Amino acid sequence: MTTTDGGPALPGADVPTRARDHGGGVAAARAPRLRTVLALGRVEASLLARSLLVLAGLLAGGAVVWWSLGPAEPLWWNADWRIGSGQLVLGMAVLAAAQLAAGRAPRNAMGDLYASFPATAGTRTLAHLFSLVGAAPASLLLIAAATALVQLRGPIGAPSIVALAGGVLLVIAAGAAGVAIGARFPHPLAGVLGALVLFLSSGQSHLPWAAGAWLYPWASFSDQFPVLPGPLAGYPPAAAHAVELAGLAALAGIVALAVTVRGARARGWLAAAGIVAVAVTCLAGAVQLRPIPTADLNHLVSEVADPASAQRCTTASQVRYCLYPGFGRQLPSLEAPVDGVLAHLPARPAQPLTVRQVATLSLPDATLTHGHPNRQVSRWDARVQRAPGMNGAAPASAIYLPVGSWPAAGSQLADAHFDLALAAAGWAVRIPPQAIGTPGGQVFLPCVPLGQAREAIAIWLAILATHPPPSGLQAGLGTGTGIFGTEVRNTFVRTWNYPGMFDSYLMPPGGGPQYTAAGYLLAHAMTNLPEQKVSHVLTDAWGKWLNWHTTDAQLAAALGIRMPSVSTRVTLPSGKTVTPGPGNGPQAPLCTT
Amino acid sequence: MTLNVRTAAVRAEGLSRRYGATRALDDVSLTLDRGITGLLGPNGAGKTTLLSILATVNEPDAGQVSVFGLDPRDAAERPEIRRRLGYLPQELGYHRHFTVAGFLDYVAILKEITDRRRRAEEVARVLAALGLERRARTRIRALSGGLRQRLGIAQALLGRPDLLILDEPTAGLDPEQRLRFRELLSGLPGDPVIVLSTHQADDIAAICPHVVVLLQGQVHFTGTPAELAATAAGRVWAACERDARAHLSWRGGDNRWRHIGDNPPAGAELVAPTVEDGYLLLSHAAGAR
Repeated sequence: MTTTDGGPALPGADVPTRARDHGGGVAAARAPRLRTVLALGRVEASLLARSLLVLAGLLAGGAVVWWSLGPAEPLWWNADWRIGSGQLVLGMAVLAAAQLAAGRAPRNAMGDLYASFPATAGTRTLAHLFSLVGAAPASLLLIAAATALVQLRGPIGAPSIVALAGGVLLVIAAGAAGVAIGARFPHPLAGVLGALVLFLSSGQSHLPWAAGAWLYPWASFSDQFPVLPGPLAGYPPAAAHAVELAGLAALAGIVALAVTVRGARARGWLAAAGIVAVAVTCLAGAVQLRPIPTADLNHLVSEVADPASAQRCTTASQVRYCLYPGFGRQLPSLEAPVDGVLAHLPARPAQPLTVRQVATLSLPDATLTHGHPNRQVSRWDARVQRAPGMNGAAPASAIYLPVGSWPAAGSQLADAHFDLALAAAGWAVRIPPQAIGTPGGQVFLPCVPLGQAREAIAIWLAILATHPPPSGLQAGLGTGTGIFGTEVRNTFVRTWNYPGMFDSYLMPPGGGPQYTAAGYLLAHAMTNLPEQKVSHVLTDAWGKWLNWHTTDAQLAAALGIRMPSVSTRVTLPSGKTVTPGPGNGPQAPLCTT
Repeated sequence: MTLNVRTAAVRAEGLSRRYGATRALDDVSLTLDRGITGLLGPNGAGKTTLLSILATVNEPDAGQVSVFGLDPRDAAERPEIRRRLGYLPQELGYHRHFTVAGFLDYVAILKEITDRRRRAEEVARVLAALGLERRARTRIRALSGGLRQRLGIAQALLGRPDLLILDEPTAGLDPEQRLRFRELLSGLPGDPVIVLSTHQADDIAAICPHVVVLLQGQVHFTGTPAELAATAAGRVWAACERDARAHLSWRGGDNRWRHIGDNPPAGAELVAPTVEDGYLLLSHAAGAR
């Protein structure tokens, strides 16, 4: 043994612990471990909240919510789950950021220094887990922004606090997983891979998605939330899923601590906590796999198959509006275009008009009917298939509005208004709305009011009722290099696609007659005439104009205008112009009733 | 030299540590008391391994360590040692996106200084001590190597540790900074136990009352710098020509050859040995064995 000169002994050097004043040693003022966890957690939470990754995740999550909510009807029972999809994206970012934070010390070659601190690796891991509260503001901000978006659009239903809380728990669970990964694998790629796994675990194409779909962190599949006429208990099983996510978060935290904590006693506690977390997670999983009660599905099928049994009808201007409970706030938006048409109508048809919501439920759906016998599911399916609108047709006196398709705002709402006005005008001039089956019965084709005066009148009424932008109407004619057309009686007829025609605002999508370019151009010319003059001409011979034999040329002559000419010539890219001839496709029927 | 076993602040007995086939430490025993102890040795001598064991970062394969009467192997006592420890590892990475003050604040928390006001005072104190006040808000990635080294020293000083272990703290410092560093260590209040490893014999001579020379994992000398220099007394000569018989020869700033050896070169002049001479002679002797 060698020795050094000692000099006076260090006061108290052989005393393991001692109280010291501030000047004598701050480090010796022993802070409880909890205070270290809280202080470190606060710093890490602040770093996490200000992380560029989290900010990017928030923006991307917001974009996902914006995109998935789209312009569609703001149904809360749909929006709840879509907001969670945004949280999944945010969760991926939080996972990566938490992994970077947890693996920071070894990655930056500071392992030795950290090992010399009184704050142990377990304390640091606990602080990292605590810091995940720093991700909560981003998650809550996403919810707040999405909620504001839904609320601004006039929401149907009420938000599910449990489903929304599930999204926050998803973010926290993802962060806990990031801490667990970072505690063991400090390389940044590990976090990226973890985020990728989280993303893939919530996809649909590569995973089975029957009842087990609910067990994924956040199932993003083609569910039927947007077409349900109301919330359905257990679809999704939000409460149990939130518990599962809490269990997974706890489990990830326990794994993170198990990687870093030393000591048999602490590990024993962790093992016990791990068993509890696994049990809770499994229990929550089992609850999610329970079938939706038969009575609830019976009720849903009844609502879909027989909407009248569930809907509330309101009559306004002698038009019945039948909507599912909760959709009443849409009434003004529906009445406006219909009233606009009625206001310019010389006389109403004998049959009153009914505007009715329909739900386009698709069965069988394993996430909806799992756990029920096939025979029962077949019976439900058969009933749903007989639901209004499911056969691709609507009665002449009814307009069907699919649940979830009525836009909340913007140009889509303007298009939907025009579609509804045109459908109401079609009813008013007695153009048959339903598609007509081909001889084979497999293909339904809309009829074409070719050369009929009532076609131009219907379009004129819809334009007067809703005043759509002319550019949108004009676009429906196509361009010189691309025009729309169909074949009627072996003749190519240039058609007109009205705004929103293919956007499924009404049922069946694009239903009703196929309007022609000539009809639109005449209607457009009519809008340039004094409204009184047109009304006078129509009122004088209303019955005549509704007859399908009365031609658009006769109407033009009565109005004192020339019948617009319609070119069917198409300019090819080579510069050559051609006129499409008859093809081998199905012939569109003429509207003859 | 007096034996002061009962009250020694840090005591190591029979420390051995292997890394595979390499024996980093071989039955090292030493005691450290208050004041500055310099640890001299060439690369691979085991300095870093010894310091990391004293800093409770590493565990020896054999032997015992006692720090302030506490046993680092005891899970309950180890945190208490760490509460009284300041450590600068030889190779320290940094969280480059942290600011200087932010990093020190973070380390202060890891040292369990949880009271915000006290932490702020501590950070301000070490920033001032290392002349880093103006860099407080600078991100670490923007600092030069020397400034980073000062930051490393600053973090070690947080909490006014009773035991300060600095592994090559002057590496990367310019001469002025080294002087300031020496002044800083000499003026630390509370008479902490300081042990620093260095290649710079003049650092040792300037600030260390005690020196330990570690060669090939073994302690070859312990004593004062004067005693280390004295080991080369009568064996250091200055001459105009190089002498092939000398153990070590090098040309000095005055263009004369300095020889360390047992035989005086022709026409040589006996000169007073320095700490470096003593260290080099010990190194040579250890190598010869």
